[in-house]
Amino acid sequence: MSSQESTEEAMASGNTMIEMIKVSRTYHPNITALSEISLSIETGEMFFLIGPSGAGKTTLLKLISNMEVPTKGLIEIAGHNINKLKGNKLAYLRQKIGVAYQDFKLLNDRTVAENIAISMEVSYKNPKTIKKQVRDLLDQLQLTDKHNSLTGELSRGEQQRVALARSVANSPRLILVDEPTGNLDASTTKRVMELLNRSKQAGATIVIATHDASIYKQGKHRVMELRNGVIHSLTRGNT
Amino acid sequence: MNFWFAVLRQAGRNLKQTWTSQFMTFLTVSLSVLIFAFFYLIYTNMLGAGDRLNDELRLIVYLEEEPGPAMQMQLRRKIENFDDVEEIIFISKEAAYKRFAKQLGEDSDVLDDMPKNFLPASIEVVPLKGLRGYNQIKLFSEYLASLPGTEKVQYGQEWVERFYYFTRLLTIVVLLSGTLLILTATFMVAYTIRLTIMGRQDELELLKLVGATNSYIRTPFLIEGILQGFMGSIIGLSALYGLFRWIISHFTGPGILHIFQFDFFPPIVIFIIILCSISLCSIGSYTSIRKFLKI
Repeated sequence: MSSQESTEEAMASGNTMIEMIKVSRTYHPNITALSEISLSIETGEMFFLIGPSGAGKTTLLKLISNMEVPTKGLIEIAGHNINKLKGNKLAYLRQKIGVAYQDFKLLNDRTVAENIAISMEVSYKNPKTIKKQVRDLLDQLQLTDKHNSLTGELSRGEQQRVALARSVANSPRLILVDEPTGNLDASTTKRVMELLNRSKQAGATIVIATHDASIYKQGKHRVMELRNGVIHSLTRGNT
Repeated sequence: MNFWFAVLRQAGRNLKQTWTSQFMTFLTVSLSVLIFAFFYLIYTNMLGAGDRLNDELRLIVYLEEEPGPAMQMQLRRKIENFDDVEEIIFISKEAAYKRFAKQLGEDSDVLDDMPKNFLPASIEVVPLKGLRGYNQIKLFSEYLASLPGTEKVQYGQEWVERFYYFTRLLTIVVLLSGTLLILTATFMVAYTIRLTIMGRQDELELLKLVGATNSYIRTPFLIEGILQGFMGSIIGLSALYGLFRWIISHFTGPGILHIFQFDFFPPIVIFIIILCSISLCSIGSYTSIRKFLKI
């Protein structure tokens, strides 16, 4: 079995998707972004991270996707210590993690379609499948007319939706989204949440960092509040 | 979509995005290949001409007196003592006169009033084919000049000397142009790839984020280097071939090119030049990837 297949199987079959044990992250010179965070997120769960700005939500998401390395502690994704993975093994794991951060990380000189397709191209998906998936996602997010527009020419709300479409395009097993509805109106927010719910129904684990109470108060998802880098509370939504 | 389709498309995007610097690098590589191959072509042709001239090289030892049979045996032994030779021919004064008259052809009547023994007797020494180096020939001629009864030794010293120094000069020029090729191919390509990497930092970061493998990210840059080397050498060699055809068609009358047989590179040399160019450009590309593409 190739390391790509074994990563995929581990992410699909395990019960726990994310395991964090006493994770801390300190920035130079002595700024503590996260302190002693311990957390388990089940496969297929939709999990909300809330808290004021600077509480450590984005840092937590970046640690989970290995874009940053913890100063202390252990982070496992589908049973793999993500900080010990290197080379192709790490790449294959990242192919199964969809991310949409606040800085969007879009290529402004490329079209909307090209930006969404990039996450599927790295997995060598069939061009026809890529084309179809891009059209479906643009349709779901009401961006059909922006297919050939350069992302640099879009509004922030549109760019946010493109980043979100890219994060779910490759049918990832884990989706990490940071403020997915920050620049959106109520009806677009609803569409975005529908899209994320569809991914959840398909078996994906979703972690959403947000300030938007309207999205985490619906349903019975777990909601973790961070304050000054520590867990302030861990409750269920709608309770 | 397979790996090669994906990386080739990515390489195409790189080329499109930085086409101006890519084009300049391509021109530089082509020009370097052209300069190197031009001098190398002259060098190989000169070596070929030198070989052909050496085949016809003869050292003429002019003697003070015509040697008798016993003396001839002694001289033959002395000459063979120094080194084995291809052939030793004794030419008497009379035989020299006949040869000269034959060479004059219709004008041989100018010799009518001359005595038949006015030309000196000589020994024609044909050195072994292996005796190629200028210094060896010089040593041999000095030895022959030291033989008793020798008046003078001739083998077209000045011409051979000039030819030898010209070949040495060409060797230096070939080495210099080869160095130029190495420097331009590796450094220019390394610099261009570095520019491409710098200009695409955002995309490279995104590719890592969405799970692109190291080979997916690196291979397009390597392909760029290979393409620069391949295209540069093809264009450089094609330009040289055009120049070669032009020289052949314009200088095929009486002249230096008529004396020398002027040939283009055999296929194996063309293949080696292309391979070297590709390798050098790939090394340049690989160096930049290792240095600036942190994955």
